[in-house]
Amino acid sequence: MLLSNNYYVGGAIRLDYFKKIFKESIIIVLISSILGLFSGTLLSNSQRILSSFPIILLVLPSLNSLIGDISTVLVSRLTSHLYIGTLSPKIQVSDRLKQDFYGLAITILLSLAALISLGYMLGNVFGIEIVNPLLIISILIITILILFVFMFVFLFMGSILIFRKGNDPNNFLIPMITSLADFLTPLFIIIFIQIFVNI
Amino acid sequence: MEAQDTKGRIIKETFPSEMVSIVGDILAGIILSLLIVTFDSFLLLILIIPALLSLRGNISGPFIARTSRDFIIGEFNKKSWFENVLATFTLSLFTALAIGVFSILINFLLIKLYIFHIGLLIVIPVISIILTLTISIPCSTILNFLAFKRGLDPNNVVNPVMTAIDDFFTVICFYLTIIMLGVP
Repeated sequence: MLLSNNYYVGGAIRLDYFKKIFKESIIIVLISSILGLFSGTLLSNSQRILSSFPIILLVLPSLNSLIGDISTVLVSRLTSHLYIGTLSPKIQVSDRLKQDFYGLAITILLSLAALISLGYMLGNVFGIEIVNPLLIISILIITILILFVFMFVFLFMGSILIFRKGNDPNNFLIPMITSLADFLTPLFIIIFIQIFVNI
Repeated sequence: MEAQDTKGRIIKETFPSEMVSIVGDILAGIILSLLIVTFDSFLLLILIIPALLSLRGNISGPFIARTSRDFIIGEFNKKSWFENVLATFTLSLFTALAIGVFSILINFLLIKLYIFHIGLLIVIPVISIILTLTISIPCSTILNFLAFKRGLDPNNVVNPVMTAIDDFFTVICFYLTIIMLGVP
């Protein structure tokens, strides 16, 4: 089907699959990667906070990928439910949606507990200074919970609207949320540190 | 089947994959905290790292998903794989160049740090992403193949594991690139 369009013309290879991938991906990939630069600008402008709490830098890649992975699971699950008809394409609370919400909320909290334990353990082993651990743990939990609720609502509504227009929510929402999570996670952490600590 | 999914099943299937992902990313964080922070040009380097990590999610993730799908629908062959790899490298090059150009712009407008030749802001993402993909593409293809051969759904297994591998090698390759280029 998709790849059967590839054939040789006059000895030259027609790269139809290559062209299809490139055409469908280039715009969203460029936009998402440039959004990634805004995350970099944010970190670069928050050097004082990062050097005061070096443990943040240690757990940041994991936190970004945690919220990104859970959001990806959510979008692909919502998309499957919409395609097989177990979720109605209406913006309303259903039992299916509640199961996904609680299941993913518990998963993200368990993963966060594992991440914090591992991060602090390895921080001790590698001699990374751990300043005010209780405050940092509270900030990480609040950040993840707020982001999870925000992502859940945004992705649910986004999936329904994209699906209603006859498009596949996977193609648009998955590249977008990776960069959005990478930007919002450090933003929320930095905002909370500024609120709770006088830096 | 999807309709019978409970929250218990979601936790059981997603949590172990997340654990693998967390361990790999924690290692990436350690390298970031111990090695990259010590550079004089840290302010400029930290600008590029999140964009490179996003690139992993935006380019390597779909490559893995396409390979998994090709295995599942029986369309995987040398030609489809070659075109998939070619598209992945081409997209990466375009995006790495865009990251470089925008980094120069952000530095010019906001950071204003001219500690090394500004052209390196284009060379660093290009070299480090090519190095990362050189490791990531064979790894994810082999993992996809092994998962498929063992009767597992590659979609469920390969992506979380590759998130960890990709993030870890993105930071390692970035570090090697700045060392090779003599960035202060």
